[in-house]
Amino acid sequence: MKELKLDAHCEAILQEYRDNLPAFKERAAAIHKLLKETLDGAGLLVAAIESRVKTASSLRGKLALKGGKYASLKDITDVIGLRVITFYTDDVDKVASAVERLFAVDWENSVDKRKLLQIDSFGYQSLHYICSQEDFPYRFEIQMRTVLQHAWANMNHDTGYKSGVEVPREYLRNMNRLAGMLELADEQFSRIRADITDYRRRVQALVASGNLGEVPLDGDSFRSFLDLEPFDKLNRRIASVNQAEIQEVSLLPYLAVFKALGCRTLGDVQAMIKEYGEAAFQLACYQIGLTDLDIISSSLAPQDICIAAILKRGGGAEGIRLMFDQISGTSEANGMLAEMIVEQAKDLPFMNQK
Amino acid sequence: MEVKIERGNAEVTAFLIGRLDTPASLEVAPKINSLADDAGGTVVLDCKELDYISSSGLRLFLTVRKAAAAKGGRVIVRGMNPDIRNVFMMTGFLNLFEIQ
Repeated sequence: MKELKLDAHCEAILQEYRDNLPAFKERAAAIHKLLKETLDGAGLLVAAIESRVKTASSLRGKLALKGGKYASLKDITDVIGLRVITFYTDDVDKVASAVERLFAVDWENSVDKRKLLQIDSFGYQSLHYICSQEDFPYRFEIQMRTVLQHAWANMNHDTGYKSGVEVPREYLRNMNRLAGMLELADEQFSRIRADITDYRRRVQALVASGNLGEVPLDGDSFRSFLDLEPFDKLNRRIASVNQAEIQEVSLLPYLAVFKALGCRTLGDVQAMIKEYGEAAFQLACYQIGLTDLDIISSSLAPQDICIAAILKRGGGAEGIRLMFDQISGTSEANGMLAEMIVEQAKDLPFMNQK
Repeated sequence: MEVKIERGNAEVTAFLIGRLDTPASLEVAPKINSLADDAGGTVVLDCKELDYISSSGLRLFLTVRKAAAAKGGRVIVRGMNPDIRNVFMMTGFLNLFEIQ
């Protein structure tokens, strides 16, 4: 391709760029690193952080088009460009706030394209900040947008306003329809996330206040419930039989078992602990009391509570087998184990009480 | 007590043969602990010829499990006889491993 001819003023700007290219690359990498560390530190998960230094040919093109408006290279604010792509629209503002804390923002030249769109138009939405650092003489640009805005911008860029080729009106209309749809999708994703966060807070508050009967049993609520250590007392009681050490493990696999046993709320689980805790202790005592086993896992209490509930409710060996299949995988051996437990339990006091 | 380790392409298998009581656990601990190096992949603890396991033996199994959890690997306990499975059940260890 033929190189665009520049006047002497623009050639001088281009030469300044070439002379400073290593410094631009080094600075772009440093800003990228600083942004990443800051966002990671704030626990802000983003889809991507991109950085680039404008190529000489791209700068030449820019200068050929509008070189007269730049007095020097310092007037070109996107030689270093970074882009932060977030998952949610709300996070664009959080990233912006982090950028404002890290760098000096040139407000006059920064643009919030989200606010520029008319009420009856859809399209390119992005937040562009022109920033600077005291120890570097050139400004740089940071763009912030969501993944959906990013996808739309890329698709539009391929055949859109920068291509120089006039595209049919229908194509442009379809792109705008898509932009409107993506804007709605972005809004919905944020709303869903806000709703989930709100639900988690309400569940935590209900668990903390002890209103367990009002809390539906699900992954989130069960996790909050486990924070209250509802099985610890029984585990410690069982461990004391053999002065055993308790190995803490995740009890989340028991969520499915409690659900299978008909628990619909955390209150139901709490009621099961109360109703079958003593029976579980009797079973555990019988099983390990005459052994020298001095280690148990923290899942022993929920396991034995569930076994006791199954036995008392008449679920028998088949019910216990299903429970073991659920927590440790399907196996014929689980059937034998279940038969053995039924045999062990039949003479225990809890099995002979009404 | 004997521990034979076979390293294949997809997984590492430790064949546990005999009685894994306290003295035996002390004896084979270096070999079992060496499985931590492979814990990023799949480690199989083959118990087909394991006749007995004590608390010390369970602790060795836990060591492998912890290493796998730290490295994102998986631990499969294979071929337990009814007595060993019973020990796993009595101690609440049954759901700590992938059991085959």
